[in-house]
Amino acid sequence: MSIEFKLDNRVVAAEPGQTILEVARANGIEIPSLCRENRISKTTSCFVCVVRDRKTGKFLPSCSACPTPGQEIDATTPEVLDMRRTALNLLLSEHTGDCEAPCTLACPAHAAVEEYVRAGRQGNFLESLKIIKERIPLPMSIGRVCPRFCEKDCRRNVYGKPVAINDFKRLAADLYYDSYQEELPDPIGKRVAVIGGGPAGLSAAYFLRRQGVLSTIFEAMPRPGGMLRYGIPEYRLPKTILDRELRHFEQMGIEFQCGRRLGENLNLADLHRDFDAVVVAIGCWKASGMRCEGEENALLGIDFLRNVIEHDCKVPNPGKVIVVGGGNTAMDCLRTSVRLGSPEVTCFYRRTEAEMPAEKIEIAEAREEGVDFQFLVAPVKLEKRDGRLVLTCRRMELGEPDASGRRKPVEIPGSDFETVADTVIGAIGQRVQAPAEIAVNRFGVLDAAGDSLRVAERLYGAGDCVSGAATVVEAVASGRRAALEILRDIAGIKLETEPEINVSRGKWQYLKKENLVFIRDNVSESDRAQLDQIPLEERKSTFRETTITMPADRVSKEGERCIECSCTDKKECKLRKYSSQNGCDPEKIKGARLPVSYDTRHPLIIQDRGKCIKCGICVKVCKEVVGQTLLSQKKRGFSTTVSTAFDQGLPQSCADCGQCIEACPTGALDWRNKA
Amino acid sequence: MSDRAVKLFRVGVASCGIAAGAEAVMEMLKARAGSIPVVGVGCLGHCYAEPMVEAVLNSGESVLFRDVQATEADMDNLLAVGPNKRFEIPPERKSRELIKVLALAGRIDPTDFDAYVANGGYEGLKRALSMTPEQVVDEVKLSGLRGRGGGGFPTGNKWGFLAAKKADNKILICNADEGDPGAFMDRSLMESVPHQVLEGMLIAAYATGAARLFIYCRAEYPLAIKHLNLAIDQIRTHRLNVVNGRELDIIIKEGAGAFVCGEETALIASLEGKRGTPRFRPPFPTDSGFQGHPTMINNVETFGNVPLILREGGAEYAKIGTAGSKGTKLFALAGDLKYPGLVEVPMGITLGEIVFEIGGADREKVKAVQTGGPSGGCIPVELFDTPVDYDSLRALGAIMGSGGMIVIGKDRCMVETARYFLDFTHRESCGKCTFCRVGMTRMYETLERIVNGQGEESDLDFLADLGPKIRMGSLCGLGQTAPNPVLATLRYYRHEYEEHVRDHHCRALQCNALVDLELEQDKCIKCKMCIRTCPVGAISDDFVIDPDKCTRCNSCLDACPKQAVRRVPKRKK
Repeated sequence: MSIEFKLDNRVVAAEPGQTILEVARANGIEIPSLCRENRISKTTSCFVCVVRDRKTGKFLPSCSACPTPGQEIDATTPEVLDMRRTALNLLLSEHTGDCEAPCTLACPAHAAVEEYVRAGRQGNFLESLKIIKERIPLPMSIGRVCPRFCEKDCRRNVYGKPVAINDFKRLAADLYYDSYQEELPDPIGKRVAVIGGGPAGLSAAYFLRRQGVLSTIFEAMPRPGGMLRYGIPEYRLPKTILDRELRHFEQMGIEFQCGRRLGENLNLADLHRDFDAVVVAIGCWKASGMRCEGEENALLGIDFLRNVIEHDCKVPNPGKVIVVGGGNTAMDCLRTSVRLGSPEVTCFYRRTEAEMPAEKIEIAEAREEGVDFQFLVAPVKLEKRDGRLVLTCRRMELGEPDASGRRKPVEIPGSDFETVADTVIGAIGQRVQAPAEIAVNRFGVLDAAGDSLRVAERLYGAGDCVSGAATVVEAVASGRRAALEILRDIAGIKLETEPEINVSRGKWQYLKKENLVFIRDNVSESDRAQLDQIPLEERKSTFRETTITMPADRVSKEGERCIECSCTDKKECKLRKYSSQNGCDPEKIKGARLPVSYDTRHPLIIQDRGKCIKCGICVKVCKEVVGQTLLSQKKRGFSTTVSTAFDQGLPQSCADCGQCIEACPTGALDWRNKA
Repeated sequence: MSDRAVKLFRVGVASCGIAAGAEAVMEMLKARAGSIPVVGVGCLGHCYAEPMVEAVLNSGESVLFRDVQATEADMDNLLAVGPNKRFEIPPERKSRELIKVLALAGRIDPTDFDAYVANGGYEGLKRALSMTPEQVVDEVKLSGLRGRGGGGFPTGNKWGFLAAKKADNKILICNADEGDPGAFMDRSLMESVPHQVLEGMLIAAYATGAARLFIYCRAEYPLAIKHLNLAIDQIRTHRLNVVNGRELDIIIKEGAGAFVCGEETALIASLEGKRGTPRFRPPFPTDSGFQGHPTMINNVETFGNVPLILREGGAEYAKIGTAGSKGTKLFALAGDLKYPGLVEVPMGITLGEIVFEIGGADREKVKAVQTGGPSGGCIPVELFDTPVDYDSLRALGAIMGSGGMIVIGKDRCMVETARYFLDFTHRESCGKCTFCRVGMTRMYETLERIVNGQGEESDLDFLADLGPKIRMGSLCGLGQTAPNPVLATLRYYRHEYEEHVRDHHCRALQCNALVDLELEQDKCIKCKMCIRTCPVGAISDDFVIDPDKCTRCNSCLDACPKQAVRRVPKRKK
């Protein structure tokens, strides 16, 4: 005899013995549950499945409660959702693990680092490239110029140096970029205009095309590439490489119109008329001056670099060069000057080396090439005298930290001194050079609405012109975000985004060796692989690329150093999935976690107790389904764990079964082999 | 023989007496008493006066002695019915108590079957057997008896459910897993009058048709288990365990010490040999309990009431108490009062009468009382007119619980009090339900932060939000009540919480992190007791306490003969 009751105001029927959860699912009402497993008796543990009996006001675990006739059950009211969210937040507060590896989290593009490193380790660099291109459409360039955010957060830093992650990109792209063609759907008829052919614009066009949306890139300069072409020097990114990379975009059906500059021979109204959406990715092309008397006598960093590139590196020797500034553009100017034959190249920076924003490797390589660094020096006046330039500087000392957290340089009175030079280059910073049609906010960048990058109706911003001068990989990530937003807005295509929840064991700086979880056997203890460089003399005298792509065997071997930090269950973990769906936050409720305790004694199975939600499904599956009693809970309260008899670990014989693994709602029990 | 001569000595040798040295007293007294019988009896309920000896004179008069030690002097005094160490039950307590369930406690030898029978024992069973089982159930219903374990479910109804089940193998369980710290009602009853509990069980077995009887008793009660086992042997010998034509087995199962096993479904799981965790109800144990059989669980004290009901009749029993709560209730009285101990009072007595009159607490110094053990709630002194019954206490955010009652003095910090209780409950969660396992831990951590002066205003909202969710999102009584100490103190003493987080001030000067110890120079006589006592050398030669070294252990405060050391609010740095 079936009974009737109300579920979310709908009259529904239940068979005898059916739980509210089962009835809800049969009626298309999704109630999340972590601890229900149909093959075993009820566990009633997680309380994520709570619903409310409207008449009594009581919350019931719907996985266990059977409806009674005439009952009115609420499964989705705010009170129920709040209760559910609290249950999930409590579980997250005791959850120890890393949903994603820290490298992936650090990567602005969220590339699946662990996965492409694994493919490379196994010698499958084509697979590596496929994985990389899911997030990074410019792997040849980024494989060369990326400041390697991923490596800064790599857990290998706990002992020694990080995995040389970026070299996987570079090699995989060098090997297979030309031959790998991603699957492209037929065009769906929508068209997007992209203003700016730099990394952000290219990335937006790429990810639009991969969903069947064609675009036209309008590039102001004679050739596309943006900063990749006109900002980054040849010796770091050979333009032949860039051309190879860009050819692929044309092959995908992306149209390039060069020499089209917004506000000159291009206007927004036309674009809005002809296209379904417009992306503005015009970068930061206006260099900031040195902010001192006579600054007009100096060259500006990016202008200097562009000029060299526009002349195929064939420009006159600049003579004695002083570069003012401490960022990557300054380094590029210094090292370019060396290659142009300058007899003396000096960098003036107003703070110390520790505060320099340039990449450490760039500073080191500039030194190798003979660049001299003068710290705690700020320009005061630049004047022409006797056909040469005289730069008056003042010495500085470090004071209190400023808004950026760096210690502020303070002038030392009476410390002025003069230096003579032939060329002075100011590489202080860059700003957006916005045409009249594009409004900028008080920070001088486009006003995009948060993560959506939407500037106005059907108008989106991406890259440096939204973020301010940043890196290539950040521009690529921004382009993708804009593309996803456009796809949703104009084509109704909602790509599955990664879960918003991420639990982390923390940054390596706060971890000890014993905090690391080694799922993989035989993680290599060897030193980090080094990129080979061309001879120093050649570096100083030519614009040849300074580094040489690593050979495949060396890169594969480097992959053996990867610990594989991410969770084995990150794709299927129900805790992560439901937490994301319910707007939970792992930081919402703070408190102690159980000390990390994982067990890899079994060759194929990992038991990671920090991820256990203590639902006891595994215990019951082993007993009730498999007919074994290999697992059992022990201790109580917060210290409850699932353990094996006398803590001896799982016997090898159980490897054939894996029933508990399939049933585990998280990665507390899982196959060790991730691939 | 003279009227003033001693006819009989009774020595209280329940656990509390033994702990105070009663066994040695009894041994010595036996050696000295010659032909005067010396009987070891159970508990009279006056913990503060143990070891206690009662001299029954030929005249029938009873003379009580307190704090008796195994010394020649004390023995001489006892034998001569001398004036020393005489004990009178405080008259206020005497007038307020109503001793029915405990009538034989401390009067008879618990191991003496004949003594129990001679005092009306097993008459209830006899009367029950003369009735139909239905009539017995009705009698219990008529009495209005409600479960004494804490839940307060009408006992007669429960019996009715089991009786209505058509099954061969019905199970009856006596819940003797008395887990609340500071509660010892059940222990005293089992130790002092084990037969009374067994009689109640046999009556229940007859009324419900139960075939197998278990007593789930915590292993920490060896004396109760010993007395129960003896009593079980005795009723077997006397064939009293033959009920409904069947010889009933009574098995004592010793619990392994988990608090949660006092919860009925967890208790059943434990009895079945499984991990003691509760499960979702329904099905209720009366439908499917121990190994799937219909099962009924009553508490020790509940069973202890049953012989009385059968003996005097349900209607007579129901004359005592309030509309919703009948009979008497045992309370284990502890805390900041003069006469801690086991008391039996009629339902409906006010909290004030128990605390002030029976307990002898100082009216000026009491702040609140905690009822219901660690998962109960506190009731402020302003509400001490509240009658003690199931429903009134619940309305105040507290619970009757099994009968623990802890008096909290004005010099106690309510935040620290809540933290103290949660320290117990959060550890004792079985770990199954998310809200209880993680939620209680998070509440406990928050309270720790607050008493350590690291709390924030938002912590109070966090506690107030999470507490009710834990109540509503837990399977069993443990989780459903564990937040009570926090919620009750937040309800009545929110200002104390606020002082901790806003001003880093503990008005009770109890939270060490918010307190300094100070030595008043003008009271000091330079005796150096404090300096000698201080374990960390925090007191300088000129009698100044270094707050950075001081651990607030109070050693100096206790050692000072002039009360020159005080606890004061921590000085702001």
